[in-house]
Amino acid sequence: MAGKIIADTIETGAGADISTSYVVNGSAKAWASWNGAGTLAVNDSLNLSSISDLGTGNYQMNFSSSLNNDDYAYNFTGNGRAESSRFLHSAMDYTVATGSLQMYWSGSLNSSWGVAYCDTNASLAVIHGDLA
Amino acid sequence: MSTVITDNLTGKTAAGDITITSEGGAATQSLQQGLAKFWINMDGTGTISTRDSLNTASITDSQTGVYQYNSTNPMSSDDYTCVYNAGNGSGNSDDSTNPGNSFSASHPNTASQAVMETMNDVATNIDRQYIGGTWHGDLA
Repeated sequence: MAGKIIADTIETGAGADISTSYVVNGSAKAWASWNGAGTLAVNDSLNLSSISDLGTGNYQMNFSSSLNNDDYAYNFTGNGRAESSRFLHSAMDYTVATGSLQMYWSGSLNSSWGVAYCDTNASLAVIHGDLA
Repeated sequence: MSTVITDNLTGKTAAGDITITSEGGAATQSLQQGLAKFWINMDGTGTISTRDSLNTASITDSQTGVYQYNSTNPMSSDDYTCVYNAGNGSGNSDDSTNPGNSFSASHPNTASQAVMETMNDVATNIDRQYIGGTWHGDLA
C-alpha cells in the first residue's frame, strides 16, 4: 500500500516551513518541449495528451488533466530554426481553454521589421494554475 | 492544522515519485515533475550577475545578448523545458518591448547547460538588464 501524508505545512529540520498550498499551487501543472517542423514531435512533457499542428506556427497543447479554469498562467520560449530566415519572437494570439491551449508562434525577418507566423523546431511551454 | 517536519521527502512505492492531489480534487500529479529544477533572476548588462537562483552553478556572458547557464545538478536528458523572459526595465524603447528571447539555435541544450539569446526588434543580439528563466523536467 502506498504511504499517504495529509498536512497543511512542511517544515525542514532547520525550521524553514512552507504551506503545502505553495507546494501544490506552485508546481507546474503542465510543461512540454516539442519540435514543430515537419511532422510534429514531442520531446518531453508533463500532463500532455497530445499537441495538435493546426497550421504554420499554430499549435494546440491538449492536457491529460484539465485545469480548473481558463485563468492559468503560461510562459513560452522557442527558436525559429525551422525557418532560418526568421528569428522567433514569441508565442502569441492565444486561445485558452481548461483542456487545451492554442498559440501562434511568430518571428521577424533578419534585420528588417516584419513579423509573420512561423513553424519552430523547438517550442517550450510551462503552465501554472489549478488543476480541476 | 498539521505540520510535517522533515529534511527529505521520498516516495514510498518509487523513491522519485510522490503524488499530490489537485486543487480541485479531480486529479493527481507527480510532485517531482511539477517542480522547477532551475530558476534564475539575473542582470545581463555590464558584468553580468545573479540576483537570486536555484540549482545554478554559474552563468557566462558568452557575447552580447548570449548567456550560458550551467546547472549544479544535471537534468536527466537534454529534452527539458526552459522558458525565459527579458527586458531592459526602461519601458519605452523597442529594445524592451520586443525582447525576442530565444534559446540559442547554435548551442543546443545539454543536460547541465543551456544557452539563451536576447534580441531587439530587428533580431540583433542585445544585452538585457532583467532576465528570468526556469527549467522544468527530470533531474538525473
